[in-house]
Amino acid sequence: MASNRLAQELRRGSAELLILALLEERQRHGYEIGQLIASRSEGAINFHITSLYPTLYRLEDAGLIEGRWVERPGQRRRRYYKLTKNGRRVLASQRSTWEQFFGALSRVAKLSRA
Amino acid sequence: MDFRARVRAGLPDIDEDIVAELADHVAATYDSVRAIGGDADEALRRIDAQIALWASDVESLRRRPKRLPAVAPPQPSSSALTATRQDIRYAWRLIRRQPGYATVLVVTMALGIAATTVLGSVAYGVLLKPLPWANAPRLVRFYETRQGSTRRTPPVMTNLVYREWQPAATTLEAIGAWSTNQVAIAAQRPERVRATAITPSLLTMLEAVPEKGRLFVAGDEETSRSPVLLISHGFWQERYGGRPDIIGQTIRADAKTYTIIGVMPASFAFPDRTTRMWTALEVPPVIGPQGNFSLSMFQAIGRLKPGVTPEQAASEATALGRRGPPHDPVALAVFGSTGPVQVTAIPMRDALTNDVRPAILVLLVAVFLLLAAATANAASLQLARATGRRRELAIRAAIGAGQAQLVRQTLIENLLFGVLGGVAGIALAAVMHQALPAFLPANFPRITEIAFDAPILLFAIVVSICVGIACGLLPAWNAARASVVAGLAEDSLAPVGGGLRSRIARVRAGIMTGQVAIASILLIASVLLSRSFLQMLHADVGYDPTNVLTATVILPGGDFSPQRRAQVADDVVSRLLTVPGVTRAAFTSATPFGSVISLSSLPLRFHDGREQQIQTGVRFVSVGYFGALGQRVVEGREFEDADRGDTSTVVIVNREFARRFLDGRAMGWTIPDDDDRAIQRRVIGVVEDTVRQSVMDTPEPEIFLLPRKIGVDQVSLVVRTDGDPRSLVRSVRVAAQTSAPSAVVEGVMTMEDKAAATLSRPRLYAVLLTTFGAFALTIAGVGLFGVLSYSVALRAREIGVRAALGARASDIIALVLRQAMAIALTGIGVGLLASVWLTRALQGLLFGVTAHDATTFAAVAAVLLVVSALATVLPARRAATLDPVKVLRA
Repeated sequence: MASNRLAQELRRGSAELLILALLEERQRHGYEIGQLIASRSEGAINFHITSLYPTLYRLEDAGLIEGRWVERPGQRRRRYYKLTKNGRRVLASQRSTWEQFFGALSRVAKLSRA
Repeated sequence: MDFRARVRAGLPDIDEDIVAELADHVAATYDSVRAIGGDADEALRRIDAQIALWASDVESLRRRPKRLPAVAPPQPSSSALTATRQDIRYAWRLIRRQPGYATVLVVTMALGIAATTVLGSVAYGVLLKPLPWANAPRLVRFYETRQGSTRRTPPVMTNLVYREWQPAATTLEAIGAWSTNQVAIAAQRPERVRATAITPSLLTMLEAVPEKGRLFVAGDEETSRSPVLLISHGFWQERYGGRPDIIGQTIRADAKTYTIIGVMPASFAFPDRTTRMWTALEVPPVIGPQGNFSLSMFQAIGRLKPGVTPEQAASEATALGRRGPPHDPVALAVFGSTGPVQVTAIPMRDALTNDVRPAILVLLVAVFLLLAAATANAASLQLARATGRRRELAIRAAIGAGQAQLVRQTLIENLLFGVLGGVAGIALAAVMHQALPAFLPANFPRITEIAFDAPILLFAIVVSICVGIACGLLPAWNAARASVVAGLAEDSLAPVGGGLRSRIARVRAGIMTGQVAIASILLIASVLLSRSFLQMLHADVGYDPTNVLTATVILPGGDFSPQRRAQVADDVVSRLLTVPGVTRAAFTSATPFGSVISLSSLPLRFHDGREQQIQTGVRFVSVGYFGALGQRVVEGREFEDADRGDTSTVVIVNREFARRFLDGRAMGWTIPDDDDRAIQRRVIGVVEDTVRQSVMDTPEPEIFLLPRKIGVDQVSLVVRTDGDPRSLVRSVRVAAQTSAPSAVVEGVMTMEDKAAATLSRPRLYAVLLTTFGAFALTIAGVGLFGVLSYSVALRAREIGVRAALGARASDIIALVLRQAMAIALTGIGVGLLASVWLTRALQGLLFGVTAHDATTFAAVAAVLLVVSALATVLPARRAATLDPVKVLRA
């Protein structure tokens, strides 16, 4: 029960962190984000396609990312997400928190970062 | 290929915006399948599978309710002033974003603040404000009694103590006496006004200055001089139109001609504002010039020398008073004891307000409890809101807001609520002040001192700030502990393990327990006072007050001899008996709840042969009085016409007289006549005890006589009617004025109204406390509902897991109910215990019910349990109907 709960928490937190991190480089659309998470985490993070859009909307509601429709010549109209100022700050802070967390884990449990 | 239609078909009720985005996603999927060589069918299967996955949790794809644009938090600032201004602006914008929530909060606060302010101003005006006279703190009121006196004695001093003390006083700078009375002013239409007889020394003591003319000087009070009069500013304006040559005018009052020597300024009110004129009071010696013994009674105050305590003055008066000549029969009549003189001294302000102080203090405590409940409710709401804003706080902490800044921001936001609540509360209090005079009984002391003035405004502001801070402290403390990681890691739905395991939930449960406790205290107090009021209303008063009209006829001394008065009274009664609708009519010296009964001391022979001076009340009544009033004759008979006449020697006693002096066997016993002790009167009847001034008084012995002549200047009429007595008010007035054109008829009112008037204070206290109690109960019910709903939301996952593991709906309802009952029962328990201690303060206000009445306590506990259960119904149902699948996926 307890480990499940932890896993659930980690998954939720990590999904948000991943999305923020992916948007740090440049603005992206939902499909692209889903593809990138699947490929970059090498499937280790079982990020279900179902929760991609809810997570995006939640982050948008929290004011960490911002979506807008973009129409490019020869392309479909797509909704692109980019990191807001707030999102950038939160990402920085979450990153350091996660780093501390993993640092602590590896010291205590002798785990190494994959 | 229309991907949008495909998405829309699979996902009903989704925003078009989202449909477009998902359509783009499936289009991309379609393209990628085709790109790696899949056929169209394959690609369509892939996108249908994708849409089905989304459809499994379509709820999370619905956007949350559209919110107003987020408010940008203030930036950290170097200047404290700028930062505060930014905080205020930020808080104001947050309030404007949620107007409904803000209104509830502000209204709750405003009601609490207004009620507290109004009661605070009553307490201040009545109990604390200095009296409007010179050297007011050193003014003390004196009360004389006799050692061994057990009954409530009239608040008087006699000439015995006064004459002994005045010349020899070492503790006093001055002493003065007064006696208030109604006088009939002869005019086209006779009028009665309140006149106070005062010793010349009293005006000097109060450092009064006349507006026109002069004050009394020593000697003005002597009866050998022609009588002089001071009039009030109002009387001068109303009756004389403020004419400048008022000094020296004469006025005929109570068949005496007075010369007006001065006008007192509008600011002068002694003993209160109802007095329109002042005559000079003489305090006669106890042994008159002819050696006759005369005891007069009046009210007395003195001004203490600096540094002297009231107790010192009282013991000096007691010692000196005991040197006076003995006067046992009169002392027995007045004080009910022949023991040595006993004088007490009480500061004037306390003396004026003693009988309302306990009630005001009780109400003040009640209103503070109410304010505490309202504040706790606001704090609880704010705390819940703070929980919802944990992410905001965490984000702001993450982007560099210092802890101090977050705490200050939270405090300022709550202070802003405090200010809004305070402004609304003060406005409400000002409105309530306008209505206050109509609301308070007319005989409430110092009513004119109750004002919405600067000290009260200051008090209201301080209360508002305190409420604001109190509301802000918990959320601020919460902000101080805001954790960046926890705040961001969680969604708005908390992790598994809600209930009381979260800190904020525990604090809110604690607040709720306190609110339930306060509600039980206020409800118990209100039920006790209401039951007591009903007991008073339905108390057996010894007679039947329905359909009875009473009136007082004033027959002033100069115009009416005692014999003439008796004739006039008889004449009025026979006239009344001819009025259609009148079934019985009679007169008396004093009706119940009416004028003061005269007291007499008689040598009575007991059944065992002993003879002893006894004290008894004396009323004269006309034939048919008991029938008219409906006073029950317990034994023997009423007076009859045959009992009248100069040789009549019959008397009727009340049950208490028979019980106290004659072992309940009064019939046929003899009682000496009040005026001529040689005459023995035979008891022909025993009647039920009636109350004198208030139903809370214990019965006192009384005797009833048929009058041959009437020595006092007023008689009261008692008229029983066969319909609504109010319709006969005019007929009664006409009958009296036809018999005696110069008589003044006043106080025409029904016996029921008269009795109700004596209950105006108990009614007010009961109504006020019931309002407070109802308010507190509402707050507690709504608060409990809020806490439980919040807790159910917080525990949604836990409940979902339980449901998934096989818990039935009844188990889940029991889970919520258990939490509610834990809060309710603890609160009720604390409230009942506190009530046992607190309701002792109510003891003096209660009648026919004890302060620890078990039924009341049990009933209030039951009501609170029912309300708590009702508050549980919705949250429990919500918990029971939670869909475990959805909850767990969220």
